[in-house]
Amino acid sequence: MIPLLGLVLGVLAGFIFDVSVPLELQPYLPIAIVAALDAVFGGVRAVMEGIFNDKVFVVSFIANVLIAAFIVFLGDQLGVGSQLSTAVIVVLGIRIFTNVATIRRHVFHA
Amino acid sequence: MSLLNDLFAKPLEPGYEEVAARERAAGVDTSAAGRRRFSPILIVGAAALGLLLTIAALQVQNNAAVVSSERQGLIDRIRAEDERVSRLQDNVESLESEISGLEASLLENSAAGRQLRAEVEQLQARAGSIAVTGPGVVITIDDADPESFDNPELAAVQDIDLQQVVNGLWAAGAEAISINGQRITSLTAIRQVDNIVKINYRPTQSPFEVTAIGDTRSLPSEFGDGPGGQWLRHFDLQFDVRSEESLEIPAGNTSLLHAQPGEAR
Repeated sequence: MIPLLGLVLGVLAGFIFDVSVPLELQPYLPIAIVAALDAVFGGVRAVMEGIFNDKVFVVSFIANVLIAAFIVFLGDQLGVGSQLSTAVIVVLGIRIFTNVATIRRHVFHA
Repeated sequence: MSLLNDLFAKPLEPGYEEVAARERAAGVDTSAAGRRRFSPILIVGAAALGLLLTIAALQVQNNAAVVSSERQGLIDRIRAEDERVSRLQDNVESLESEISGLEASLLENSAAGRQLRAEVEQLQARAGSIAVTGPGVVITIDDADPESFDNPELAAVQDIDLQQVVNGLWAAGAEAISINGQRITSLTAIRQVDNIVKINYRPTQSPFEVTAIGDTRSLPSEFGDGPGGQWLRHFDLQFDVRSEESLEIPAGNTSLLHAQPGEAR
């Protein structure tokens, strides 16, 4: 519940402070979001399983976002940006899906 | 496939397990430390995620608005330029009729002048720079039934169809031709840009009314049996030929900017 509150807080902050992303960074934003989503759901699942650790969470969050953005950047330089984006989305998407499924089992016991 | 299997089997960051295992090994009471239901860091992470999400969503919306307004701007510009071309062409036509009026008044004064004037008018009628009247045929051409084609776009009348019809009419003895009011002159191009047929650089659309002046007895049958009629029948285009005793074909633009009459000296 509490992380959800943080999420709402973030969304409100986004609406209040009208932040605009520089044009060069725009292609990396969606990938960064998917990576952050993966880290947050991973963290929530760890909380549910009682093995949450602050350091692991922070490191995985920042590293995920940076690595995902870097892969897309590299792909852009090599001319395969969209393909590499797809690869990142597939891998992270599977992780997110499985993590959310586990969270669901913990919450609803079903 | 071991990569995908790994992904499905252990989607959790392996770091969490490792740290937990290390703490267990070090004898730390993991049940007390780990049972925290929430952590401020996790809230901060979730807030960052929400912020990123909102920024991205707003950005996408802004971009969509910019793209559509750019598109509308381009459409408006095309319309304005089209109108400008029409205006300029009307201008050219009125200036040309003024020129021929002046020529006529100049030549009217003497017998030789009158003869010259008749000759000039003959040539202008041939070139298409003055309107002509006479008997002839009107051929109405419309798109084919789209259901008989796999690709419905092919059912529409194309530029090549009109080119073949014009060619067929010349071959059948037509002396002057216009399509939807556009005179076919020695400078006319019939071409297609994105499914819009342009004649004399002006857009027009089906049904196409092709007016041709010629012998009303031979023109319809020779057109029907000739290459023009064969072409239309081959592509299943709907067309209808009717003879008229009096037709008028408007003038077209034949002004030359670069070509000078006469041989090189």
